[in-house]
Amino acid sequence: MVKYTIKRLLQSLVTVLIVVTIVFLLMRMLPIENFFTEDQLIKYTEVQKHDALEKAGMLDSMPKQLVRYYGQLLHGDLGESRRIQSGQPVIAVIGQRFTVSMRIGVISLGISLVLGITLGILQTRHKDRLMDHIGTAYTIFVNAVPPLVSYSLILILGALVLGIPATYSTRNPGPSSILPIVCLSLASIAGYALWTRRYMVDEINKDYIKLARVKGMSTKSIMVKHVLRNAFVPLAQYLPASFLLTIGGSLLVERFFSVPGMGPLLTDAIGKFDTNVVQALVILYAVLGILGVFLGDVLMMLIDPRITLTDKGGTR
Amino acid sequence: MKKRTAKITALMLASMMALAGCGGNGGGSNSGSNSGSGDSAKAEALTDLYTWETQAREVESLNVLNTQMATDLNVLTNLVEGLLSNDKDGKLIPALAEEWGSDDNGLTWTFKLREGVKWVDKNGEEKADCNAQDFLTGLEFILNYHKNGGANISMPGEMIVGAQEYYEYTKTLTEEDGRNLTTDAGSKFLEMVGIEAPDDYTVVYHCTSEMPYFETVATYNCLYPASQALIDEIGIDAFVACDDSNMWFNGAYLLTNYIQGNEKVLTKNESYWDTESQRFDTVTIKMIESLDTGFQLYQAGDLDRIDLSESNLTTIYNDENNEYNDQLVEKRPDKFSYQMHFNYSKMNEDGTPDENWNKAIANTAFRQAIYYGLNLKPYLARTNAINPLSCENNAYTMMGLVYMSDGRDYIDVVEEKLGLGESDGETPRRVDADKAAELKAQAMEELSAQGVTFPVEADYYIAANNQTSIDSAKVLQQAFSDCLGDDFIKLNIGTYVTNGTAEVIDPQLHSFVVNGWGADYGDPQNFLGQETYGEDSAYYSMNYSNINDATDETLINTYKEFTDLVNTAKAITDDNDARYEAYAEAESYMIENALVIPCNYNISWQLTHVNDYTVKNAPYGIQNYKYVGWETSVDAYTTEQYQSFASGSGNGASAAE
Repeated sequence: MVKYTIKRLLQSLVTVLIVVTIVFLLMRMLPIENFFTEDQLIKYTEVQKHDALEKAGMLDSMPKQLVRYYGQLLHGDLGESRRIQSGQPVIAVIGQRFTVSMRIGVISLGISLVLGITLGILQTRHKDRLMDHIGTAYTIFVNAVPPLVSYSLILILGALVLGIPATYSTRNPGPSSILPIVCLSLASIAGYALWTRRYMVDEINKDYIKLARVKGMSTKSIMVKHVLRNAFVPLAQYLPASFLLTIGGSLLVERFFSVPGMGPLLTDAIGKFDTNVVQALVILYAVLGILGVFLGDVLMMLIDPRITLTDKGGTR
Repeated sequence: MKKRTAKITALMLASMMALAGCGGNGGGSNSGSNSGSGDSAKAEALTDLYTWETQAREVESLNVLNTQMATDLNVLTNLVEGLLSNDKDGKLIPALAEEWGSDDNGLTWTFKLREGVKWVDKNGEEKADCNAQDFLTGLEFILNYHKNGGANISMPGEMIVGAQEYYEYTKTLTEEDGRNLTTDAGSKFLEMVGIEAPDDYTVVYHCTSEMPYFETVATYNCLYPASQALIDEIGIDAFVACDDSNMWFNGAYLLTNYIQGNEKVLTKNESYWDTESQRFDTVTIKMIESLDTGFQLYQAGDLDRIDLSESNLTTIYNDENNEYNDQLVEKRPDKFSYQMHFNYSKMNEDGTPDENWNKAIANTAFRQAIYYGLNLKPYLARTNAINPLSCENNAYTMMGLVYMSDGRDYIDVVEEKLGLGESDGETPRRVDADKAAELKAQAMEELSAQGVTFPVEADYYIAANNQTSIDSAKVLQQAFSDCLGDDFIKLNIGTYVTNGTAEVIDPQLHSFVVNGWGADYGDPQNFLGQETYGEDSAYYSMNYSNINDATDETLINTYKEFTDLVNTAKAITDDNDARYEAYAEAESYMIENALVIPCNYNISWQLTHVNDYTVKNAPYGIQNYKYVGWETSVDAYTTEQYQSFASGSGNGASAAE
């Protein structure tokens, strides 16, 4: 296990380094005009533009910039935001957002797991009957309706009919989180229900279940002890990543409800040529992604003793 | 097992509820006193304003000396006060300067500051006096490369004696030496730069030439004050990157809550110099995803004003029973005058000159045929679907920029010189189909003789990801076809991926662009000076029209004549009427020769509890978003009320206090 962890850690470091380097180079390959706003392009003289680029180190050669950036990273310095919050340390820019995203994301994940898995179980138990059809209809509806349409419907219903705050407010985070959480949970519930039903239906048709039935085990016992447990294994693999990536927030939901989270940050930073923020986020997401996969493997191993990480050279 | 599962489930749900309820700064409920419609029994005016901004226009910097972004300055104008401000008609009014003037035709400007103005922190605690020294500190900070990085130097560098030289001087220093520069007596700054503070409450600026309009620059942030005590306290880097927690305020409001991407809360500054002014207790600026979301928030009573998207506007307008139908009100124009700028040195994509276009656009009759023939009404309807002709623009300079001594708007003088008749309410005033047909025939004859082939292909570029622009471009394309004929000119719509400047403007691929110009200061020079021939400071000539690369002698002579007229006007500094008259002469000459074609103003529709005709409204400077002196009503204004405001007969509603 330790050997496996160290090996994965080293592989991960190399992966992160490659990702960071590629993103760094890609950002530098964008037209230099992106460094300036439209206003600045109009109002700045050529001398001002040159001075601004020089001060930002953008006129240095690419290798020199890259080496400087690696040096910064080694010192744990992610630099300062250039435009998202001009002059503020990137760590502060990200720090004040990720807690908001994570809080809403974790609540939504919890609700989605409870309701989604419950719905999946009910659909399996009542396969091809009304409950199953309702669940299927819900899944189809959620996936078929464009998210912004369903968010608008929820906003109208929640704010105009029920009087729930329409946008997120840090001064009133509880009630104002309700609509974003509902929107975030909608698709996830459908997703978990769909996968739970699928894996459980697969399991329920296997011979060992028939044997259990013949041996006289109750349906509930079979469902919980055998079917759900085995069906949960493939789901469990993605749970740590889902949990960690709640930090990343949701672009659509956070934009729609003005949640000051991480969701829109990466696209905003790219649009504003805020290279330090882009690179910090890429590092963060790469690390979270790698960690999520690793923890998923470990979790699978814990749930299903047949799976080992080392003896057979990994899980997959 | 059953019990355990139930316990775990209960625990999970309880945790979720707890998590939902905690976090943030626990500021209690969103009570405020947001007064939506139907609450008129309690009060007539809003005491707290809930307004909006789209998320794409979030604040990036809170340093008023460093930023040039309109989105930043719209907030900062409420937090930091400068020398002068504007009233609802754009006229200059005192701010920190009680009196000001020039005795030598604008070469030297003296501003007498009011006493007792304080810098306070976000809690309202007094930190220091705001006096003349702060204006020296502010200007030094801007002009010092090692402090402000070259931001905001354009106007002071051009207008104040020694300012550009001082900036260049600081660039020669090491960072440490540059940052150690001060405004103390005997300093290099005072030695080089034309600014002085003879006493604590007087600031004198020495201009590089006679500038009768310099006073209007005093509404702009390049002349704003900064407290040396604050810079000393937090350091230069922190000052540049200041935020609501460490900045000092001397303006009408304090920034008491600032959550990026969510909301900003501005709270009335009790130490503000103008204690009698009409201000709100709080102003909450909510960041919204789109106008459609904003409309839903307005419906829910969470906003007191909202601009309407085209779809919402037409939905409400076409349904007489819609609850908002009689509340549709037209906004005042924003500060931009939009023009069609031709490219006189167009290139093909392979880098060779587009001779066909370049010859055609150099021909006066060709340009005038477009000027008189192109009916932009359908295109204007893209901005204002209900009343498109209210967006009609017939001058180059923005309306309301300057006024003659008899009260006439400068652009009225321009329009008089152009001989534009009264509007018939159906067609833009300059459109003359018969004249256009004559000019078209003349142009085709003259240009055919030069080897130009018809239809002349015109390339018009817009952002590929902007569907609104694409739709507008198609409307413009149809207008070209309908008005000028497919045998004369063919409009091709091209797109760029990310950056129009890099992909289109720099390689000179465009035949024309439609661009809006908002003034930096109150003088026609700031508009017309962008179009002159052979001058590096002429932004549009250098970057868009490429007139300096043109080869057609007639065209060049026309531009030179225009440039001479502009410079003649610029030289008149002792009589504003004569100056503006001369500028109007130059502007009408430019438009008559269709060197540039005026296009539109931006006037959209809204639902609002604010009387816009009481809001500061200047086509230059940064004062327009100052929430001071606004008249509001707890009931949304009606179309009828706004019509009376627009005609000047309305008495508005109650004030904020």
